[in-house]
Amino acid sequence: MIFIAIIIGCVAGVILGINAPTISYTYSSFLAIGILAALDSVFGGISSILNKNFDLKIFISGFFCNAILSMLLTYLGQKLNVDIYLAAIFVFVSRMFLNLTIIRKYYIEKWSENIKKRKENKQQNTQTN
Amino acid sequence: MKIKKDKLILSIVIGLSCFVLAVVMSMQFKVVQQTDITSIETMRETELRTELSNWKNKYNELSEEYNQLVEKRKEYQEKSQDDTEASELLKSELENIDMLIGKTDVIGNGIIVTIDNSENADTDIIADDLLLIVNSLKDAGAEAISINEKRIVNMTDIVEIGNNSFIQVNGERILAPYSIKAIGEETYLKSALLGNGGQLDELKKLGFYTDIQQNDKVEIKKYEKDMFTKYIE
Repeated sequence: MIFIAIIIGCVAGVILGINAPTISYTYSSFLAIGILAALDSVFGGISSILNKNFDLKIFISGFFCNAILSMLLTYLGQKLNVDIYLAAIFVFVSRMFLNLTIIRKYYIEKWSENIKKRKENKQQNTQTN
Repeated sequence: MKIKKDKLILSIVIGLSCFVLAVVMSMQFKVVQQTDITSIETMRETELRTELSNWKNKYNELSEEYNQLVEKRKEYQEKSQDDTEASELLKSELENIDMLIGKTDVIGNGIIVTIDNSENADTDIIADDLLLIVNSLKDAGAEAISINEKRIVNMTDIVEIGNNSFIQVNGERILAPYSIKAIGEETYLKSALLGNGGQLDELKKLGFYTDIQQNDKVEIKKYEKDMFTKYIE
């Protein structure tokens, strides 16, 4: 059910986004930062699901608040003539890598455990036989 | 049932966030794809600054060049103005000389003298009479003279051909009546011909037909032959 919701949301979003009017290039940097924040939240959510401490409220609030806050920070950086968006990109991307590492490690452990279990099963089978 | 409700909410929320993310991402893709990075509107501030300074430099160079060219043009203009002034001066001088030596038709204030043979007179008019009249007119300051439309120039001949048979002017035969046109101060011209000792009065006394008329616009034709020199060095 969750997968269906994800697929429907993605497809509908892409269709709407392609047909939406193009925004000015000057605001595209804000959008890019927002996208990065949202992606960071998504990977964070996935890793928390794997760690079994997923909280919907935290996920949703992180998803939207991080995006909006990063946009605001970018705007502030433009006003202050400081490239704050670089710091935001750094933080988000490093966290994304961190979360990806967690996900990767989880699945690799799962995979190696499976292999171990199979081997043990085989040994048990041979022993019983 | 409760678990299902939770799952429904979860899937709706996650689907919604996926939807938002997809919308924003595809919009961004489209913007990035469609935007021409080299156009001015999409440039970042630093790029714009360097571009602006480049253009400023170029502008300065070009304006300097422009100023130099303008100055050069001014120089040339002044030079050509001098040239045209000189050539105009030469042209007017040439016109003046042409008028004086008889190369152009001229119009001016002057007199027209007409003399003709008459039965009252013993003889015909001879070349000397015409010569004397022309000389008198020259003496009175005439600027252009013609006899029967033959312009009097510096090398004009007024001669009797044969034994008083006909008169030749500029190498061509002319016949009576003789119409002598002269441009100049008309009172001087008239007084040179009339009065005691005036050639016209002399002719009148001899019985020839004479007439003298003033005219504001006496028209004198140009010398019709070519003017050439062979021996003058």
